[in-house]
Amino acid sequence: MSEKISLKEAEHKVFSAATQDGLLDVFIGCVALQFAIAPLLSPSLGDFWSSAVFVPFWVLVAGGLWLFRRRVVKPRLGGVRFGAARKARLIRFNVVMLVVNVIAMAIGTWISLNSEVMSGRVTSAFFGLTCLVLFSTAAVFLHYPRLYVYGLLLGLSPLVGEWLFENWGASHHGFPITFGLTAGIMIATGLLVLMRLLRNNPVPGDGPVVGRG
Amino acid sequence: MSERTFPPDPHPLSEIDQVIHTPARLMILAYLYVVESVDYVFLMRLTRLTWGNLSTHLSRLEEAGYIVIKKGYQGKKPHTTVRLSSQGRAAFRKYKQSLQKVFDDLPD
Repeated sequence: MSEKISLKEAEHKVFSAATQDGLLDVFIGCVALQFAIAPLLSPSLGDFWSSAVFVPFWVLVAGGLWLFRRRVVKPRLGGVRFGAARKARLIRFNVVMLVVNVIAMAIGTWISLNSEVMSGRVTSAFFGLTCLVLFSTAAVFLHYPRLYVYGLLLGLSPLVGEWLFENWGASHHGFPITFGLTAGIMIATGLLVLMRLLRNNPVPGDGPVVGRG
Repeated sequence: MSERTFPPDPHPLSEIDQVIHTPARLMILAYLYVVESVDYVFLMRLTRLTWGNLSTHLSRLEEAGYIVIKKGYQGKKPHTTVRLSSQGRAAFRKYKQSLQKVFDDLPD
C-alpha cells in the first residue's frame, strides 16, 4: 500500500506481471541450443539441414509452452488485456525488430557472400553485435532486464568460442561449449522464475461471488 | 440594507471522491486505468489483496458505476473480468485533478 502511485509504473508492473513468467526465457534458450548442437550435426547433415532440423523442435517447444501457459500458468496468474498505449508500443516494437532483423540479415548475407575475405572473428563480432542490438531493443520495449544479459551472453558466445578454438583447440570453434552454456543459463533461469511463480501463486478457489446480479 | 452572504468557494478537498479516496480502491482504479480489462485472479495478484477484501472493494466501485464486472466461464470454471467504465475513467481523472489542485495550493 505504501508504494508510490504512478500510472506509468503501474502499467509497467501490469505488463511485467503478465509477461515475465519465465516461459520466454525457456524458449529463447531452446533457440540458442541450435547454435550449440548444429555444429555437431553439420558433418553428417550438412550446413542447411543441421539448422533446419531445429524448426520442428522450436514449433514443438513453442506449442508445449503455449499449452503450459494456458493450462498451468494462466489459472494461477490470471489474464489481462492491455490498453491502447501498450498495444501501440507492441506494434512499434514489432516494426523496430523487423527493421533491425532485415538490416542484420542483409549485412549477414553480404558477409557470407564475402566469407573468403572476412575472418571468422569479423563474422563472430557481427553476430555478437546483432544479438546485442536485438536483445537490448527487446529489453527496452518489453521492460525485460534479463534480455540485456541474454544479449550479452549470446553476443559473447561466438567470440569466446573462437578464442577457445584458437587457444585451446576446442572443437567446432568452441560453439557447443559457449552456446550450450548460454542456452543452459537461459533455460535454467526461465525454469527457476517459473517454479517460483507457481510456488507463490497456487490456483485460487472459486471465492465469493463478486458484484451484483 | 440586508447583509449579503456569499457561499464560500468549495474547498478542493471537499471535491475529492470518497469512493476512490481509499488506498485499496485507488490502487485498483490505477491498475484498471492503464489496461483494457483484467481478470479477478490477476487483479488479486497485482494488488495483493485477499479474495474477500478485493471483492468488497470491487462491489463498492461497481455500485458507484466506476467499473464493469463481467462474470462468465472459462471451460467449466467461473471467470470474472473487470474493466473501468467511462464514468469510472472520468471520475479517476477528476480525482487526479482534485488532488493536484490541493497540492498545487500548498506552500513549499
